[in-house]
Amino acid sequence: MALHEFLTTFAGLPVVAADDDDLPAGPSEVAWRLDMDYDAEDGDFRRAFEKLLQRTGPAGPTALIIGDWGDPGQPFPFATLIDAADRLTGLRSLFIGEMSYEQQEISWIFQADYRPLLTAFPALERLWIRGDGDLAFSPMRHEGLRELVIQSGGLPTSVLEDLLACDLPHLSRLELWLGVDGYGGDIGVDDLAPILSGRAFPALTHLGLCNSEIAEELAAAVAAAPVVARLESLALALGVLGDAGAESLLAGQPLTHLTSLDLHHHFMTPAMAQRVVDELPGVAVDVSDPKDETRHGRYTVAAE
Amino acid sequence: MRLAVVGNPGNRRVALFRAAVDRAGLPEPEVFGWREVLTAGRVPGPGTLVRIDSPGEDAEVDRLLRELGSGRPTVTAEHGQIIGGAAWFAGLRAALARIEAGGGRLLNRPADILTMTDKPRCHALLSAAGVPVPEAFGPVGGWAALRASGWRRFFVKPSHGSSASGVLAVAVSGPRVAAVTSVEVSGGSLFNNLAIRRYEDEAVVASIVDRLAPDGLHVERWFPKASLGGRVLDLRVVVIGGRARHVVVRTGRSPMTNLHLGNARGDVAAVRAAAGEREWAAAMDTCERAAACFPETLQVGVDLMFRTGWRGHAVAEVNAFGDLLPGVLADGQDTYDAQVAACTP
Repeated sequence: MALHEFLTTFAGLPVVAADDDDLPAGPSEVAWRLDMDYDAEDGDFRRAFEKLLQRTGPAGPTALIIGDWGDPGQPFPFATLIDAADRLTGLRSLFIGEMSYEQQEISWIFQADYRPLLTAFPALERLWIRGDGDLAFSPMRHEGLRELVIQSGGLPTSVLEDLLACDLPHLSRLELWLGVDGYGGDIGVDDLAPILSGRAFPALTHLGLCNSEIAEELAAAVAAAPVVARLESLALALGVLGDAGAESLLAGQPLTHLTSLDLHHHFMTPAMAQRVVDELPGVAVDVSDPKDETRHGRYTVAAE
Repeated sequence: MRLAVVGNPGNRRVALFRAAVDRAGLPEPEVFGWREVLTAGRVPGPGTLVRIDSPGEDAEVDRLLRELGSGRPTVTAEHGQIIGGAAWFAGLRAALARIEAGGGRLLNRPADILTMTDKPRCHALLSAAGVPVPEAFGPVGGWAALRASGWRRFFVKPSHGSSASGVLAVAVSGPRVAAVTSVEVSGGSLFNNLAIRRYEDEAVVASIVDRLAPDGLHVERWFPKASLGGRVLDLRVVVIGGRARHVVVRTGRSPMTNLHLGNARGDVAAVRAAAGEREWAAAMDTCERAAACFPETLQVGVDLMFRTGWRGHAVAEVNAFGDLLPGVLADGQDTYDAQVAACTP
């Protein structure tokens, strides 16, 4: 399985390609998407980035999505952003690595240590990352960050440990794609205890543990996790959740305080999916995209 | 002038053509089986208007073509076996020469059929005509040359293969290699398998590529294709008499979108809407320009890819026998009706 499609909105703003002639709104009222051609050459990314800065004015884009930076098998060129920090004072939302499977498999997208970037952008509020090659977060305190999404086909324990060692006092939305063991996703339920207990990330109101092959165990753990009482929304989507996990959720602590419960891309039977919806009135339960395990077994939305 | 068709008589392609001729109220076309062409030299004569259809989907015809091409007795391929592409192509060249020598008026020019059946040559022709195509690698000796080139993502295709047969979508990053393909190695031979698989062992990928190489390879950069509804897609556009009217969307979850690998037909209107009218019109124009590279040939089947995000497009292949689009109608005509109408008064 693989990822094929791009966001059409990011940070609540419509996504516009950096070289698109049509601009539906002011340059700070759209999310800019910068994506290199499949045959890009050295220097193309830096040149395209410069052109974008000229288009977006003195504060730069408010929201920026970076797709293919030319060779995603090499770490993202963080210096391009960091060196331009004084021309990116308006940047609040950043997504690095939004590539389709046709451009680069998720497991082959290389990142790096995000501390230099986050240090250079203290006002950054929303950070999305796809791909976990060499991904790290050296210990830091960041007061701006509200939302962190890490999309991975197999998230290693080291990244989780890094995050738990960071001080992110205002982080209210956290979504981790745990992926599969075969692609390095070795995080177990016990490793998540600091989050599930509510000790880590005191401001958390949304938790997503997605794209996971241990979704059934996650559901059982979440059903008894203290953190859930203060969540407004919960996601166990994109993974292998089936009837057993759904049963755990329904048998566990009350979930009716949630605004939304996202379980889409799942392996529940239609009857169980309906039961989850029926037993959680007032909660927007997403049980769309049911999958069939008869031919290929259960699979997460992204792995390789 | 009476219509005739060279094809495999039991094949639905021939049946669909005969049905179209019948609908047009014309006399039934005479059928010249590929086996007869190859074994008895029976070909259409002067005074006939000849459609040459695919010799494919017949194991004995495949064997006879390879035998003719190699000049040596040869064995029947096992089901799905990838074997003797170069000999097959040489056999096709010789067989088409026989048909041409018969004196019938040919709707598709043999030289064009041969060009379309030779991917490096076809790519060079399209490229020279300014038709957008992914960059080609040039002559390929084998895996080592590809590995040393620094190319990151590319498609490896047998020069004379059809549809997804023998095709590998390869990604290289530093020391790592991955190939998505329908090819499997079994008992020292290569086979097409309906299941797409992924190899991450470079030795396996190298051995497949090096086994395919002696029959000729065509390598192009991996053009990142657009998707809709979670499925990657491309188009098969049949251009008849210079006009692109018959279109199917082919979709899949793997990089190979060819229909026979268990993939689905998509919704043309949805793709057109996603591409936008300007990009769609440009793509159709590209298909007609690709067909114009073969001006003496009545129909070609163009495989057209939109780029990820619908930003541009490129031609993946042009097929000599790419008009099997059963039930796809334009102005009430299927591809066979349209050809009959285009070649008869």
